[in-house]
Amino acid sequence: MAVAIETARPHVESSSAPAALRLQGLCKVVKTGFWARRVEILRGVDLTVADGDVFGLLGPNGAGKTTTLKVVLGLMRATAGTVELTVPREQIGYLPENPYFYDYLTGEEFLRFSGRLFELPSQVRESRVRGLLGEVGLEEAAGVHLRKYSKGMLQRIGIAQALVNDPSLVLLDEPMTGLDPIGRVEVKSIIEGLRRRGRTVLFNSHILSDVAELCTRIAIMKAGVVVWEGSVESALAESGDLERFFVRQVNG
Amino acid sequence: MSRVLTIALNTFKETIRDRILGVIVLFALAMIVGSVWLGAISLGQAGRMMQDFGLVAVTLFGLVVAVFVGASLVRKEIDKRTVFVLFSKPLGRSEFIVGKFLGLCATLFVVTMGMGVFLFVAVWYVAKSPQPDLLLACLLIYVQLVVVVAVTVLFSTVTSPTLASVLGVCVFIAGQLSSNVLSLTRLGHSPFVKAASWVVFVVVPNLSAVDIKAAVVGEQVSRPATLGLWVGYLAAYCVVVLLLASFVFRRKEF
Amino acid sequence: MRRRVALAALLVVCVAAVLAYQSSRPAASGADARVFVPSPRFYLDLSPSFRTSVADAYWLQTIQYYGEHLRSDNRFDSLWPMLDLVTTLSPRFEQAYFTGAFALIDAGRPDRAYGLLKRGMAANPAEWRFPAYLGFFAYTFGSEELKEKWAAHWYAKAAALPGRPAYVPRLAAALLTKSGARDKAIAMWASVYAEGDKYSREKAVKALGALLATDAQERAKELASVRTMMSPQAYFQLLQDLGMGSS
Repeated sequence: MAVAIETARPHVESSSAPAALRLQGLCKVVKTGFWARRVEILRGVDLTVADGDVFGLLGPNGAGKTTTLKVVLGLMRATAGTVELTVPREQIGYLPENPYFYDYLTGEEFLRFSGRLFELPSQVRESRVRGLLGEVGLEEAAGVHLRKYSKGMLQRIGIAQALVNDPSLVLLDEPMTGLDPIGRVEVKSIIEGLRRRGRTVLFNSHILSDVAELCTRIAIMKAGVVVWEGSVESALAESGDLERFFVRQVNG
Repeated sequence: MSRVLTIALNTFKETIRDRILGVIVLFALAMIVGSVWLGAISLGQAGRMMQDFGLVAVTLFGLVVAVFVGASLVRKEIDKRTVFVLFSKPLGRSEFIVGKFLGLCATLFVVTMGMGVFLFVAVWYVAKSPQPDLLLACLLIYVQLVVVVAVTVLFSTVTSPTLASVLGVCVFIAGQLSSNVLSLTRLGHSPFVKAASWVVFVVVPNLSAVDIKAAVVGEQVSRPATLGLWVGYLAAYCVVVLLLASFVFRRKEF
Repeated sequence: MRRRVALAALLVVCVAAVLAYQSSRPAASGADARVFVPSPRFYLDLSPSFRTSVADAYWLQTIQYYGEHLRSDNRFDSLWPMLDLVTTLSPRFEQAYFTGAFALIDAGRPDRAYGLLKRGMAANPAEWRFPAYLGFFAYTFGSEELKEKWAAHWYAKAAALPGRPAYVPRLAAALLTKSGARDKAIAMWASVYAEGDKYSREKAVKALGALLATDAQERAKELASVRTMMSPQAYFQLLQDLGMGSS
C-alpha cells in the first residue's frame, strides 16, 4: 500500500562529538485489532545523540516519540533499522510517561529497590538514596507510601529512580508533566546539573520554552520520521521563536 | 542472583499485604474451628475428622491463593506499567519471572504453614496428643501448590488472568488424579489410548504422589523413601515450567 | 426522607418474613428413611486422599441418619448402603465397622452386621477386636446348635492376634471346652497358663484338671503335646500345679 512520503529530505545537522545513541532507519510495525491490522508507528527514524548533549525530542502526539524510546530501551523490538547504543544498560536511567510505581512501598523503599536492581554496593546505594531524595525535594515524604503521593511527587520520585545509578545516559519521557512551577524549576536544575557533569540527556516534551532553555540539540518527529534535527541555535536562528519553528516544521 | 532476590522480596511484600489474603486465611481458620464441632458429632472420631477436613481446608484455601495471586502477578505489572521502569534497568526477563515466582512462593509458605500450625494446635487440643505428621502433610500440600503457582504463571504469560486461574485449578485436579492416568497407560483398551495416557501422564504433574493425607488419618501407610524422589521430580517439573514461561515472556513487547 | 422511610419499611417487612418462616418450620422435619447413597464405585477412581474425605463426610451423615431414625421411626433402610460406602472407601476406618455393626443390630440386620465385621477383619487382619466382636455376635445371635462352636472359632482367632486382652484366650478356651473341641481346648488352656497372671493360671489349672484324662499316662501324653507352647519352667510348674510331679 503506497504511503505518501514527504518529498523534502529531512534537515539533519550532525554533531561532531562521539555518539551516545545512533538510530538509523528505525522502523516499527505493530499489529493491532482483531484482524491484526498492520500499523507503522516508526517509518525510518534517523537520530544521533552525541555524548554530553541535552537532546529534546519534539513532535505532535502520535509521532512516535515514546515508541522510539521504548525501542531504544529494548521494551520493544525494531522491525527494521539499527539502534547503536554505546552506553551499557547499567549506565542508563529512564523515566516513563505517566509513571506508576509500587503503591505499597514508601518513596525510600522504592529508591532502594531500584538501587538493588543495579546491584549497587549498599553504602553507595544508601548515600545515593539520601542524596536524590534531597535533590528532588522529597525528604519529608520519604517514609510515605507511594499510593499517597500526588502526581507531581510521583514524577519527582520517578526522576530520582532514573538517577539512582548515576547514569551517563538519561532518557526522560515528558519529565515536566504534572509539576507545579517549583517542581519544574527543580527538575530543570537537575537537568542542568546533569549537563554540567557531562551526562547525556534525551527527553520528550511539549513545553517548548523548557526545551529552548535546556536543550543543546533537538529533533522534530512527525508521523514516524524525523523531519528536522539540529542545534537549538540554528532553529532559533531560522525562526526566532521555537514554537513558530516547530509549527512550521510539523505542518510541512 | 541478587536481582532475582530483589524482585522476590518485593513480590513477597506486595502479595503478603494483599487484603484478600487476610479474608481467605480467616475463612480457613473458621473452617478449622468448625471442624472441631464436626469432630464432636462424629462419635469419638474427632481427631480423624479434624485432621481430614482441616487438611482439606488448608489445601482448598491455599489453592485459591496460589491460583488467583499467581495469575495476576505478571499481568498486574504489565497493566500498571511498572514493567517499563523494571526492564529499562539491567534486569533479565527470566530473572523477573523467577523472582516473582519465588516471592509468591514465600507468601504461600507463610499462608500454608500458618494454617498448618493452627490446625496442628487445634488437633492437639482436641485429640490431647500432638500429630506432627500434620505439619509434614501441610508442607507437602505447599509443595503441590508451588507447582500450581509455576503452571499458573506460565499460563498467565499467554492468556488472561481469569483463564490462567481456571487452568491452574484444572491442572491441580488433574495432578490429583494422576495415578489414575497411570493405570490407564497399563489398562487402556487401544494403543492410542495408552499412548495418549502416557502423554497426559508425563505432561500433568503427579501431585497425588506427595499427598499423604490418607496416611495421616490412618488409612494408608506412607512411604517416606519415595516421597523424597517425588518432591525432586516436582522441583524439576517447576524448573521446566519456569523455563517455558521465561521463554514466552522474553518474546513479549511492552 | 420519604425514600429512607420506604427502604426502612421494606427492610422490616423482609426481616419479619424471614423470621416468621424460620419459626414456623417444623422443629424436626420428618426425615425419609430412604436416602440416596451413591455406589462406592464412583469414588474408587479418586486418589486416596479424596476417598478418605468422602468416607469421612459420609460417616458423619451415617451418624446423623442413625441418630435421627433411632429417635423417630426406627427405620434404617439406607444404613447398610452408607456403611458399605464408608468402609469401601476407607477400609481401615475401624470405628466405622464396630459402630456400624451395632447400628445394624439395632436395624434388625445381624446378618449384615456379621458380614460387615468380616469385611473389616479382612481389611485389618491384625486388629483383635474384629474376631472378638464376631465371636460375641456369633454367641448372641447364632443358632443354639452352632453358636458355641462359631464363637469359640472366632475367639480363638482373636486370641492369636497381638494386643488382645487376657480375657480373650480365656473366653476362647472356655468356649472350646463347652463346644467339645477337646484338643483345641487343651491347647488354648495351656497357652492361657503360659502367659497368664495368677488368676488366669488358676482358671487354667482348674479347667485342665477337668478336661484331661484321668489316667496318668494318658494325661502325660496329652500334656506332652503342649510342652512346646511354653518355657520349660512354666511347663514344669504346670505339671506341679496339676499334681503330676516331675515326669
